[in-house]
Order: sequence, then structure tokens, then C-alpha cells
Amino acid sequence: MFKKVELQKGVNLYIRRTEQFKTITMSIKWLTELDEKQAASRAVLSNVLQDSNADYPKQSDLRRALDELYGTVFYMDATKRGSSHIITLNMECVNDEYLSTSGVFDEALKLVRSVIFNPNLKDGTFDESIVGREKRTVIERIRSIYDDKGRYAHKRMLELMRPNDPASMSASGTEENVESITTASLLDTYKRMLDKDEIDIYVVGDIQEDELTEKIKTMFNFTAREATRKQYEQQDNEVKEVRQIFERQDMKQGKLQVGYSTPISFFHPDYPKMQVTNGVLGGFAHSKLFMNVREKESMAYTVNSAYAAYYGIVYVMAGIDADLEEKAVKLIGEQIDAMQNGNVTDKELSQTVALLTNSIRSAFDSARGQIEVYDQYKQLDEDFTADKWIEGWNSVTIEDVTEMASQIHLELIYLLSGREA
Amino acid sequence: MEKLTFENLQETLFHERLDNGLNVYILPKRGFSKTYVTFTTKYGSIDRTFIPRGKEEFVTVPDGIAHFLEHKMFDKKEGDVFQKFGVLGASANAFTSFTRTSYLFSTTDNLYESTKVLLDFVQEPYFTEEKVEKEKGIIAQEITMYDDNPDWQNYFGTIQSLYKEYPVNIDIAGTIETIQEITAEHLYECYETFYHPSNMAVFVIGAVDPEEMMNFIREDQNSKEFSEPIEIKRKYPEEPLEANKKKTVLEMDVLRPKFNYGMKCSRTIMEGSEMLRQDLAVNLVLDILFGKTSEFYTKAYSDHLIDETYHYDFIFEKGYGFAMVESDTEHPSELEAAVRNTLKSQVDNWSISEEDLNRAKKRRIGQFMRSLNSIEFISNQFTQYNFNEMNLFDVVPTLENIQIEHLQDAFSTISNVDSHTVMTIVPGSKEG
Repeated sequence: MFKKVELQKGVNLYIRRTEQFKTITMSIKWLTELDEKQAASRAVLSNVLQDSNADYPKQSDLRRALDELYGTVFYMDATKRGSSHIITLNMECVNDEYLSTSGVFDEALKLVRSVIFNPNLKDGTFDESIVGREKRTVIERIRSIYDDKGRYAHKRMLELMRPNDPASMSASGTEENVESITTASLLDTYKRMLDKDEIDIYVVGDIQEDELTEKIKTMFNFTAREATRKQYEQQDNEVKEVRQIFERQDMKQGKLQVGYSTPISFFHPDYPKMQVTNGVLGGFAHSKLFMNVREKESMAYTVNSAYAAYYGIVYVMAGIDADLEEKAVKLIGEQIDAMQNGNVTDKELSQTVALLTNSIRSAFDSARGQIEVYDQYKQLDEDFTADKWIEGWNSVTIEDVTEMASQIHLELIYLLSGREA
Repeated sequence: MEKLTFENLQETLFHERLDNGLNVYILPKRGFSKTYVTFTTKYGSIDRTFIPRGKEEFVTVPDGIAHFLEHKMFDKKEGDVFQKFGVLGASANAFTSFTRTSYLFSTTDNLYESTKVLLDFVQEPYFTEEKVEKEKGIIAQEITMYDDNPDWQNYFGTIQSLYKEYPVNIDIAGTIETIQEITAEHLYECYETFYHPSNMAVFVIGAVDPEEMMNFIREDQNSKEFSEPIEIKRKYPEEPLEANKKKTVLEMDVLRPKFNYGMKCSRTIMEGSEMLRQDLAVNLVLDILFGKTSEFYTKAYSDHLIDETYHYDFIFEKGYGFAMVESDTEHPSELEAAVRNTLKSQVDNWSISEEDLNRAKKRRIGQFMRSLNSIEFISNQFTQYNFNEMNLFDVVPTLENIQIEHLQDAFSTISNVDSHTVMTIVPGSKEG
């Protein structure tokens, strides 16, 4: 679905020409191995690069230039995937065709080039005050998770299940890691990112492929590098005993997180079967959890399951009255037992496959969706298409779901609830 | 069927008002594989005092009823409607706002079957006391979830501090106490009053053949029986100019204090092109004063008064409107002073230039073009505008015609400090 051009060893350009959108969307991804210290440094770096550069030394200069380019979107972020850390530069501008002007995309490309190759250096290093400010911003981002009770409960579950492991690491590192960053260490991180990271460049929109390739080649002078991509390796996660951990904050609702481990990960041949299995359990409004915990028992407004495939974790989350924790855990367990015993109907299976199909096709109705979905699945198949993947889901049987359900092992019950409960 | 072509946007909109009064809009989008269909009634949480169909006196119903009704629409005698959509591979949902209740699905397959499910389940009410009682537990959990959400508390707390009388100050879902009063009879009364096709709109967007879809919906509606359309009488209280409260502080279990500066709009009884212009003009003023290119933003960010959570917004519907400037902050009082100074210096000495305006317009035009990539955005925004007699596709020409005096006029509707409020959420224990 994307046309691939190798610009340099380890630097690839992926182009998708389409008239579907009124904009041109570009993503550049820098990928390296995940460790907490680097994650912190790269999170701060992506903020510093987003703030300003030598051509636009103040943030307001840069933002003004973007406004002049018809509100061109530009931002950077730091994320993780498996055992990789990824810095992404995102840009989206209106296609000239819809404007009373021309050259917006070319100007936006120049601006992107400035961001990458012309950082805002003073005496050969990053500006102390900008670095200090962005360190504070990233620390605030890390701390703010506490204020979102659902996210906090999820973070705690992962930390308890997989301490000191990519599965529980933050893409922004820890507060301590961020504190220890200096302008010199940040410059080092920048140079490594520029010269050593694996780079994927994506462009989606109504563009001439050859012309674009030439432009990118001339404007973005990346050097060759080794491809470093490594797969996440699961530790020996054999569940010896199920742990129950309750924590308290001042809040009304109980946030329940039930964590399961599974040997079926993203790179496992049974991955599509486990996607379907998770869907039957709790991915949708027809799923077992929604029908039995919410509709039948009226116990929850939110109850669903998710599959963190890279880390081999399936988890169920529910917002419940904390007094009913035991009952909720029992009901959730019963749904998985039922699946392990083959208690899955043809209807449940076909609904799930139909909705998975709908969700992947729908994701392709946005440029960013096309980039993100392809960027994931191309790790399995460079010639990935939605249709091929959907075929895989369609061949999943009830026996497969039963088999997959028996590969899900309860590991941790975590409840975050009010102090009086 | 009328056909409206918007050349510059390369979009064509089809519209028909059916015999039963239902407005149907269809917008095909080239290249899209999904179709998104919404069925919306002009009925939200603020519609609590009205004359029920067939009656003559005004009644006031328990708070949270529009939202409760939305939940119960999915629960039918033969089971849960989500099951039907699931079989068809359609992803269904619904939401209730202050002014609207919307039922929707998106699908890449079985479009007509799914459309039929949508039209039928919204037009065939089925409520029993038993089912109503059972739903109370689920909605109580939904309300409790919002109670623990500091961002929602900060947003809604600001609205409550701004509005003394207008029912936008009542939580959309009601409270755990008010939902206890709701009965099946209430639901039927509200349903009969507000779910008449003449008070509703269908919007179909994405992969769709407009002719075929219009025929399909028309035939479906012609095959059903509806009562005569009548004008719905609703009553809203008068809202004073002053903010309800000047300052509100709420303690929650958070690490970072949350700040919100609210400005109540003084002129909201309007619709159509006048409303669209005021809406866009207020947004442009906010962009210029509080956007990322503003002096305010530059200074507040470097002085550590705001962080990544910073944002501002303007919400505007016939009858109410408010602007907000929000951020997590360690320094709420300094941030308050900075916001107040920014507003005051503009009141005292207008400084927004042509150049500022032109740049802000460019930005908004680009943002609008970009948002036309999202069929969900078009559908929801179109319907909201439509219920206020505005046309989404007039945004660009209206923006282009906005002059400095429009900005001054728009600014004067939100700049009066008597109509302002400050909400903060501070770390601490709710239990005290």
C-alpha cells in the first residue's frame, strides 16, 4: 500500500499517493532501543526540537510561520513500542489545490528540515533555559498520570507485573532520569538520533511520487546506518501465584485492572487468533464482558479488555463500586473460563471478526491511521494490506479461540479505590 | 432532493426534507471506505421544562433524563441493539450533550441493513419499569467516574460557576439522586415530545450513493406512521449578566493544581449567519490573544505558569456561550493575573492589527480544510450548526469577510469581568 524507497541504508521513505484527503501528511520516525535513561533524554529532546531552531529561534517565530502556512500542523512526540523507543515528527499541511496560494507543502518541508538539521544551538550546545523549561514540562507530564485515575491504575498494574521491563517503562523515562539531563548529554542524544537511529519517513497525500522522492533526497541528507531493530523478548513469566494488590487514593469509584500473561505476542504466528480472542472477551459492545458484567449485572459503566501484544499481556479494566471487587473479579474470571471451555458462539465470533474488520478499514480513512497501522504491521510483512490481514481473522475458528483462551493466565488483580472502602 | 455544490471545497451535499418533517443530509466522500451515519434529535440536558406532547401545562422532569433515555433506547424486548450492529460489522454508539442526543454507527459493510437498524431502534421506543431500574446502577457508575475525573470537574465546575440559572449548569447525566426519580413514564413522555421526525436530522457521510440512500430512507419513513408535527414549547430561565460565583476552589486527590478561567458570553440569542460570524470572530480573538503566537502564551510558558495541558476554547449555542482558558499550573494566582491583564489591556487599548487578523484567518481556514478529512467531525459539526440554522460550509467565506470591527464586537461579548469566573482544583482530600 506504500511505495518504499531506500534513501540510505537504514533510512526508508514510504509514499502513498491518494486523492482521499485535502492535506498532505508527513511522519518521520526515529527508532532505537528502549532504555529509561535514553527515553527521558529523547522525550526532552523532542520537546526542545519542537520548540525552536536556528531559523526560528523563538517558539512564537515558529508558530507564526506555521500559521502563515495555513495552520500547518507540526509537533513531535516520544513513544515506545515493544523494546523500541520512537521519536516522531508529525507534519500536516493543506494541499495547495484547496488554497488561493501555492507552495505551502514546499515551505512546510523547509521548516521540517530546519527542525531536524538546524537546531537552536548556542556556543555549540542547546540553550540552557530552553532545556531547563522542557525538562520541567516532561516531569510534569510524568507526574500528571497520577491525576488520571484510570491511567494511573493501568501504569501501576504494569509496574507490578513487569518491573524494570520495557512493558512498564514510560516513553518519557522517570523524573530522576529527566532531572539528570544536561545540555551536553542532550546534544549527545541528538547526534545519536540523527546518525544512528533507524529512520522511516512517511508521506500520504496527492503528491507526485518521483518528484517527492527527489525533494526528500536533496533536502534531507541522512547518512547510512545499521538497522538496529530488536524484538522484545518476554522473560519467563510463568505464573506461580496470583497476586492481589489494593491501593488507595481519595476517590469515589474503584478502578479494577486484572492482568493476564500470555506467550502469544505480536510476532507469534497465532497473533491474529489472539486478537480475535480478546475481541470476543471484551473488545466491543457485544463482547462477553460488556454483556455480562455491564448489561446483565449492571455493575459497571466501563468494562473491557485489551491486548498489549508486544508484551504478551491481556488485561481487563473496569470502573466499579469498590465493595463489589470480589464479585467483579469472579464474573470476569467466569467469562474467561467459559471461553476456555469452548463456550463461544458462531455469532460472537462473526461479530468480533466483523468489527475488527470495520476498525482496521476505518483506521485507513485517516492519513495518520494509514501510517500508524502500516508502520506496525510492516514489521510482520512489508507487503501488508488490510485485506490480507482480514483474511487471517476470517479463518479463526471457535476451537482457535478456545485454545487461545487457555493460553491466558491470570497473574495480577489490582484495585485502586477510595480510602473509606 | 436538493444538491448543493461547494466548488472550492470539492464537496457536494444532498438534502431533502421528508413528508414527516425529517431532514436528511447526505455527503459522499471520495476514497473513503467507511460510512458514518448519525440520527440526532434536538433534545439535550437543558430541555428540562417543556409542554409534553398532548398536554397544555409546562412540566419539569428529573435531571439527567435525556441521557438516561439515550441509554435505554439500546435495550429492546428482543435484546441489546449492539448485538444487531455487531452482526452487521457496524460499530454503534450514542451521546447526549446539553442540546442534542445523537445515535450513530460507522461501517465498511452492510450499510443499508445497518441504517435500517439505526432508524428502527431510535423510532421504536420500549421502556419498562424493570429495565429502567436496572439501568440506574450503570449510570450511577458513569456519574461516579466523572466525579473522579479532575478535568471534567474543572470544566463543568467552571460552567456551574458561570451560570446561575440557565440549565447548562446541570450535569448532563444528572446526579445519583435525580436519576432515582426517573420512571418509564417519564421516558415515554420525553420520547413522544422530542423524538418526532420533525425535530430530528439524519446525516450520512462517507462511502455512499446519495440517490440510493435517499430513496432508502424515504421509503423507510413513508412505511412508518407518525403523528402530526407540532411545535415544541420549551422554557429556559433568564440568565443574569454576572457570573454565578467569582471564584471556586475544589479539593481533589491530584498532584498538579488545575486552573480554568471562564468568560460568559453576553449575547447568545441568535442563529444563522450572524451566529456563525460571532462564533468565528470570538475564536479568532482567542487565537490572537491566547494562541501559541501570542505574547500571553510565550510569557506564561516561559514563566512556568502553563504547561502542555494548556488550551482554550469557545462553546457557543443559541442560549448560552462561554470561553475558557485552562491549564495545569503550580501558580494559579499568577496565571489568573496574566489572563486578566491580557483581557484588560485589550479592553483599555485595542491592539489587534490587520496583520494579526489575517494570520489568524489563514490558520483557521487551514484548520477547517484539515478537519474536512474527518467524516466524524463533518457530521457532528454540521448537525450542531444545522440545529442553530448555520451552514458548516459557510465557514471559509464567513472567515474571509471578518473585519477588525467584528472582532471588537465579538470581544465585547466576553470581556466584561463581571461575567468571569476562576475555577481551581487543588491537591487535597475531598473528605477533608
